Amino acid sequence: MIRLIIFISIVLYPLFGGAQSIVDFKLNATSDGQTLTSILTDIELAGSARCFYLPEWTDDFVLDKSCVGMTLSEALEHLFQGTELNYVSPYPNVIVLVRDPKNAIRRKEILVSAQKQGKQVSAYRLGEKRVGIANTELSVSGKIIDESTGESIPFVNIQVDDSHNTTTSDEDGHFELTVTSGSHILSFSFLDYENLLADLEVYDQGEIEVKMVKNSRELEEVVVHGTILKEVTTSRIGQTELIMKELKNAPAFLGEVDLVKHVQTLPGVTTVGEAASGFNVRGGSVDQNLILHDGVPIFNSSHVFGFLTAFNPEAVREVTFYKGGTPAEYGGRASSVLDVSSKDGDYENWNGKAGLGMITASLMVNGPIQKGKTSFSSSFRSTYSNWLIHAVETNYADLSESAVSFYDGTAKLSHLFTDKSKLSITAYASHDSFRLFGDSTYKWNNRQITAMFYHQFSSSMGAEFVLGSSGYSYSVLNRDLLTASELSYGINATTLKAGFNHEGRFGKKDFGVQILRYQFEPGQLKPRSSSSNTKSVNLTNQFAYETALYMTDFRSLNDRLYLETGLRIPLFISMGPASIYKYRSGEKEVNNISDTLTVRRGRTVKSYIGLAPRLSLRYMLDKFTSVKFGYNRMYQYLHLVTNTTAVSPLDVWSPSGYYFEPQRSDQVSMGIFGDSKSKDYSASLELFYKLIKNVPDFKDGAQLILNEHLETELLQGKGTSYGLETSFSKNKGDFTGTLNYTFSRAFRTVKGPTEAESINQGKRYRANYDQPHNINFSWKYDFSRRYALTGNFTYQTGRPVTIPLSAFRYENTTIAYYSGRNQYRIPDYHRLDLALVMEGNHKVDTRVKGRWVFSIYNVYGRKNPYSIFFQVSDASIPQPYQLSIIGTVFPSVSYNLEF
Amino acid sequence: MTNKGLHIALFFWGLVFTSCVQRIDFEVPPAADQIVIEGSISSDLEPCTVKISRGLNINTDSIVNQPVTNAKVVLFDDLGNAEGFTETIQGTYQTNREIQGEIGRSYHIEVELPNGNLFVSEPDTLRATGQINNIRYEYEARTVERYSETVAADVFNIYIDAKTSGQGESYVRWRFKGTYKAETNPELRTIVTPSYPVPLKSPLPCSGYIVVSFVPGGKLEMVDECTCCVCWVNHFEVSPQLSETQFVEAGKFNNIKVAEVPINVATFHDKYLVDVEQMSLSKNAYEFFSLVKDQKENAASLFQPPAGEIRGNIRAVNNNSQVIGLFYAASISKKSIFLQKSDVPYPLTAITFVTDECTNYYPDSFSEKPEEWD
Repeated sequence: MIRLIIFISIVLYPLFGGAQSIVDFKLNATSDGQTLTSILTDIELAGSARCFYLPEWTDDFVLDKSCVGMTLSEALEHLFQGTELNYVSPYPNVIVLVRDPKNAIRRKEILVSAQKQGKQVSAYRLGEKRVGIANTELSVSGKIIDESTGESIPFVNIQVDDSHNTTTSDEDGHFELTVTSGSHILSFSFLDYENLLADLEVYDQGEIEVKMVKNSRELEEVVVHGTILKEVTTSRIGQTELIMKELKNAPAFLGEVDLVKHVQTLPGVTTVGEAASGFNVRGGSVDQNLILHDGVPIFNSSHVFGFLTAFNPEAVREVTFYKGGTPAEYGGRASSVLDVSSKDGDYENWNGKAGLGMITASLMVNGPIQKGKTSFSSSFRSTYSNWLIHAVETNYADLSESAVSFYDGTAKLSHLFTDKSKLSITAYASHDSFRLFGDSTYKWNNRQITAMFYHQFSSSMGAEFVLGSSGYSYSVLNRDLLTASELSYGINATTLKAGFNHEGRFGKKDFGVQILRYQFEPGQLKPRSSSSNTKSVNLTNQFAYETALYMTDFRSLNDRLYLETGLRIPLFISMGPASIYKYRSGEKEVNNISDTLTVRRGRTVKSYIGLAPRLSLRYMLDKFTSVKFGYNRMYQYLHLVTNTTAVSPLDVWSPSGYYFEPQRSDQVSMGIFGDSKSKDYSASLELFYKLIKNVPDFKDGAQLILNEHLETELLQGKGTSYGLETSFSKNKGDFTGTLNYTFSRAFRTVKGPTEAESINQGKRYRANYDQPHNINFSWKYDFSRRYALTGNFTYQTGRPVTIPLSAFRYENTTIAYYSGRNQYRIPDYHRLDLALVMEGNHKVDTRVKGRWVFSIYNVYGRKNPYSIFFQVSDASIPQPYQLSIIGTVFPSVSYNLEF
Repeated sequence: MTNKGLHIALFFWGLVFTSCVQRIDFEVPPAADQIVIEGSISSDLEPCTVKISRGLNINTDSIVNQPVTNAKVVLFDDLGNAEGFTETIQGTYQTNREIQGEIGRSYHIEVELPNGNLFVSEPDTLRATGQINNIRYEYEARTVERYSETVAADVFNIYIDAKTSGQGESYVRWRFKGTYKAETNPELRTIVTPSYPVPLKSPLPCSGYIVVSFVPGGKLEMVDECTCCVCWVNHFEVSPQLSETQFVEAGKFNNIKVAEVPINVATFHDKYLVDVEQMSLSKNAYEFFSLVKDQKENAASLFQPPAGEIRGNIRAVNNNSQVIGLFYAASISKKSIFLQKSDVPYPLTAITFVTDECTNYYPDSFSEKPEEWD
């Protein structure tokens, strides 16, 4: 409702009596520099004109040169443009200034309503009201932090006065807005945090610090609301924040909440099979995903061959997933980035969480070492699956000699030197041990230590420095008397990164440098007993450096158009010592070696430099709809050398080098994102096209472990993928949910000089991950504040396989005749899971909160094929069998305790 | 470690007792439409042989070939000479040695089926080969898991030392063949009829015995020599053994393991003949056998690499039929040794009698005594 307040409305007979109207009064040179109040006073004093107004409205307005020569009406229109003020002239000698109270009333209503709902409202004032400040555009910057931990909160959505003037805080929690002088309400929303309103009075440029409070109650609506707002207004296409709370509500196999399993439900992400480690993004292989934990790469993210992810969700603060429009800060993998940040400890109070699942138990404790200054957080998770295995009786084999165990642990120490400097040190380790019927023991380990230092040099300049080391290794111990041996492999990466961000008048810039040093121990086989006949093999260690310079420019070209442009310049150097085998007539075969080049330690074997441009663009069609476009080029210098479809712990990472060229992917994506006006519903549609050059594949039947002539088995070709990803969400109400449908295709072409160096005669073939139709539907129904029923349905086209079509006899041997690579498909995958979530007490002051999750995995007991393998029949013909890991309904329960 | 993946999967079957393994069937083109052509020419004074058959259904229990008869097969050399093949037994065609394999010459074949479909092999050049200097064997004690039981599966590993001809051959194959003498007791055959619960003696006629008395159980009498009690059984290589240059030192191949001879009552009933042939192959033929080797050695494994399509060097000319096959040229040098029963470090005692004809019971067996046997 529009209400006009007219202070005085007096009808007077025209005093000017036939003279010119007051609004036609010409302003002369003396008006330059005067306030509107004094001009109006002068006009009144000059004749019988009457002006009705409040001086507090007009004091702020100062006339400048541009007003000289204007009529009063022209000058008022010029000054009042974009403000709440207007004027009327009911009679030629009367002018009445009026103020539209709509915004003031709306503002008051918002504040009153927020106070009633117990929402956080913080008041900020920048500068003092002064003459001439009216209608001035002012820049307001700030930083958003968690009230209890002091950690910055990235990607918070900020909305000004319920308008489409919105922005998002950057990775470091910084934001910048341009507003007109006066009063505004800023609304801050972010997943897991209480919405916060800022009652801002701004009369000068300045900086504010916004403290947000974590949800004390499980108000999912707030969480989802935040997500959707962000989806529409974030500048990047293909970026997703994982909501840890939603993760914990979702039905889970064995009751174990899992990060990567959640990623697998996102549009454009597929998996090669149930309980397979890793994930495939837009037709890319598993190794094309960069997994970062507190800034350093993690090489194997799975426990027990992929049954679980090696990150304890309780130790994770935030997960960001990029599948398109990847910022220039990231590089080194061709498909996606999964950036996992660990939790800081609480700076004020000690608290903890404990969880008990079907096969694991976890404990997380955190709190202040020095209140407000230093915090410590520690989490540990381990399994009691050994007990379970030994309790199981099976006719297949004696499991008493078998064992499976794993653990992962994270410890983090954070110290705030000042409100502008913070140091955190993270240590992370995961270990798996797996013994099979007593003969072989598989062990694999991840370990990491990272120091991160943040410093804000000034209000416009901040920096982050990372020094860290991460490693992955495995060993296979064979205890058989005659073949006792140990096979081992390792990779170590040392990371040094300096990243800066600068906020200027025209936007923000991120820039920095990254240096990674890799050391590969490509394989060692040692006999383990004097009677062992195993031959000792020791492949030479390899070294490589990957450095990169990057810069990103973020800017709003206007209210609607936001542009992010970036460039990354990676340089990869493969270093000696190395033996390079030269091959006759260029054909790489062990039989064809003509010479060996020896490269000494410290000398360059081969170097590669690239230019990787990045572009992200967002255009707001209106307050609720945006269109986005993204382009990125990514280089990948480390390759998971595998010719199995599922990742096995025996896969090795190999660097680009003399023969192994870097992969290069170019991806274009565009999409439209929209919310309903009430934000109850949201929908998106995204299209992508990706080309990957030098994508590795391997010759049929290649042997890759302990192979010092890996290049003889390696083929490199072209990868193409394209697709359409759609998503529809209902965000509010008792029933909330998301339905995703993806149509995508992924192909490879490997055409070498000979048939042996080509796949499928050089014709295009389906990639292992080509699963055209992919549907994911997840929902949550709250039937009370404490009880919710959640569910998930997933459907994927069966992935391609190579199968034997027939058999034939040749020289007294039966040989299978296989189809071309990936010409058949395994049956489609679909599964329904349900879970009942029972929350504990919602009261904020409750010391101990419990939560039960009862899940049913694979509700209708479908025997989904995990893998196809071949068993040789009595007639010596390999016959296909499917293995379903979870071939029946699988109920589970987990309990989590927060104290 | 190739079976580990499968074991891992089955382990989880034990772990969560919900997984399952089941056959999966794909819709594939009929196997019988596939033509399989096998043949080679060597520098030996043997006739050149070509076998033509049809593909076997993946679900078949039998490995007996379906021969393709009445085909017209012609051998060509690079000088323009040609010689027709004659079908000696169903699906097997031989030359009359008009064209003999010569080192340096190239050969190819043309096959025309009765329906007019024509297939041609790519020319393959016959290369010189070196020789096998030495064959050795080593005893190895082994066990395997069978039905949750650990049973002995000892072997003799067969190694060779060989050398090249010095003419730069790169692709060498060693073909192993084992032969052992087997004996069965067809005279001890009995039959049980529903009306008479005591087994009745029923010797096979080739055993030389007859039943002369019909007292309960019967009585046997020898009336002739047994013609089906003894046979010789061939063991063929599980997968082709191929050269890799890492074994080569100054044209010598040392300690190449070419086979494993299983030690049991049957194989060492008498003695065991080891034949190893060394042949020099063209690149095409080497790749064919290399794919066969990969397929044979990468048996069932969850993490197994995908096996490749094996095609060979024969192409269909005037039709779209699926053809698989290889016709290759190779010079061959050969060496043999006997492994004696006394080489087995423990006594082998027969526990059961086989009452079938020897050649019926043992696959790949024959009744003519090999020349080398005495």
